[in-house]
Amino acid sequence: MSQVSDLLRRPWVRWLILLVVAVVLAVLPLMLPVFVNQTLTRIGVYAVAVLGLNIIMGYTGQIMLGQIFFLGVGAYVTAYGVVNDWNIVVIFIAACVIPALLGLIIAFAAARLGGLAIAMVTIALPIIGVPLAKRLSDLTGGSQGTSARFSSAPDWTGLYDDQWQYYVVIVIAAVAFALAYNLVRGKYGRAMRIVKENEAVARSMGISPYRYKVMAFTIAALFGGASGFLYMVAVQYTSPETMAFHHSISLLAAMVVGGAASIAGSLIGGIYYVLVPQVTNAIDPTITAISQGVILVAVLFLLPGGLVSLPRVIRRIFRRRSGGTDQTPSPQPTPPATQAEGSETERQA
Amino acid sequence: MGTFIQLVVDGLSTGSIYAALALAIVLVNQSTGLINFAQGAMAVFSAYIAYVFVGWGVPTILAILISLIISFVIGAVVERLLIRRFEGGDPDTAVVVTIGLLTLFTGICGWLWGYNNRQFPSLFPLDTINVFGAVISVRSLGTIAVLVAIMLLLQLLFIGTKLGLALRAVSFNPTSAALSGLPVGRLLMVGWGLAAALGAVAGALVAPQLTLTPTMMDTALVYALAAVIIGGLNSPIGAVVAAWGIGVLENLGAVYVPFIGHDLKIAVPFIILFVVLLLRPQGLFGRKVVVRV
Repeated sequence: MSQVSDLLRRPWVRWLILLVVAVVLAVLPLMLPVFVNQTLTRIGVYAVAVLGLNIIMGYTGQIMLGQIFFLGVGAYVTAYGVVNDWNIVVIFIAACVIPALLGLIIAFAAARLGGLAIAMVTIALPIIGVPLAKRLSDLTGGSQGTSARFSSAPDWTGLYDDQWQYYVVIVIAAVAFALAYNLVRGKYGRAMRIVKENEAVARSMGISPYRYKVMAFTIAALFGGASGFLYMVAVQYTSPETMAFHHSISLLAAMVVGGAASIAGSLIGGIYYVLVPQVTNAIDPTITAISQGVILVAVLFLLPGGLVSLPRVIRRIFRRRSGGTDQTPSPQPTPPATQAEGSETERQA
Repeated sequence: MGTFIQLVVDGLSTGSIYAALALAIVLVNQSTGLINFAQGAMAVFSAYIAYVFVGWGVPTILAILISLIISFVIGAVVERLLIRRFEGGDPDTAVVVTIGLLTLFTGICGWLWGYNNRQFPSLFPLDTINVFGAVISVRSLGTIAVLVAIMLLLQLLFIGTKLGLALRAVSFNPTSAALSGLPVGRLLMVGWGLAAALGAVAGALVAPQLTLTPTMMDTALVYALAAVIIGGLNSPIGAVVAAWGIGVLENLGAVYVPFIGHDLKIAVPFIILFVVLLLRPQGLFGRKVVVRV
């Protein structure tokens, strides 16, 4: 076990693994059926949205309930740009920047009140966003929604549409993940984590919690907007239903289930967001909401670090079992275990 | 003028419903320092319980009272079994638990009763009375009266009884309360139970107007949260006044400001909220919370 982890720590091994993953991701869609490709594409879309949520919630510790609103705005901006024949690069930039600006304005007010104000304000976003999208029918197409067909595969590629959409989404999602990875590892990421840990300590170190909350919120909104663009690439249609309130709750649940304050957890969150409703809907559509609630509460109880912390927890159980034979056979009480878990989550971030 | 009075009274009436939910949120926040995002979903569940009893032929008022008692028990049990484990830890985790409860309760309602709208009988007759040329519905007046009665009862409970004193002690300083022999855990259960019962009142008042659906209270929750922020998290009176203000202003806005209209009136509290947060972040009636390091 330790030999494997030693090997994993070497840079060249990591690059090799990354290369293999990239090659697999590149070759896979050429062989898979359309439905699987579309599912993988949607995982990419929502993984970016969860990633944004993770930056404000997982890393900066501010509960945010309106991420789907920014995804919706990004999608609408994309649709508007396509309908009005903007350049695709301009569309992408607008789909990122406009939600980010909205996020900046909202964060200016929401971050003023400490504690849970951001949560209480952002819960209103999807609930206002839906009637607003219906009302601004000139821009949004009203209740019917608006479609924008712009992500058909170009002729020179010789690809099918689903494959082309897959590549576009995966490439942009990969860039987003790389950017987020660097962000949370750098100076800003450390500052955000201190803000999460203790605002008074942050202030005493010259880090303004207000400024970092606003910054993290804006970045989250930017990622939300980018995922809105990707959503349009994958689905090519959006309606007010895209930003319904329950989707926002699902995104938050996906982030917690995947793993808060973890980049890999965001990817798992995206997988969870797409796959679990597909499974529960296939069994019985009325149990989708209830199963989500049960899973979320169960994860918080049993695995507060999310699914991403599962390997570590298993490893710890094994270590305890092998090391605990010569000591007292009674099982360890839970409090120290959860404590260790908490600190490890932080480190692993 | 008639329309104006009518709008104000109707606004106060819807405001009273938000106020009941807002009071429940303040109550939980005072005792445990949490925001219970599931308060609305729990209220919907209570309304469904009342609906079941009405379906069995129990008179409406009695059905609502039974659902109040059951809601109290549910609230206390939720605190004991789910929230207790996260108290004293990271408050954010506990709040995420309440968000999980929000989905859970909505999901339970949808699973048991489906997502179709159901008719819930009104507690008040649908008559109207004429005051200075304004047509005012008895239901609006009744709703306002119920909220005022709740406020008086709560005031009586918190100021006049030993239980109220103990509850205040726990919210003021749990550690000292425990040291002076108060059963803090049981009092927290009472706090959550009271909040759930308050939510049940809000649910029973709102259900006849909106018809019963699992997501009925989502909007009301947003209003109640806005009222709580505007009024100040630690001020029950502030929350009620803010809820009334929101109810009246959004009604007036919907009629007198053409762009807002009835579909966008939910944006009104949000705009008020925005201004209040920029000018007076601790809320209109709230005190600044000082954190000791």
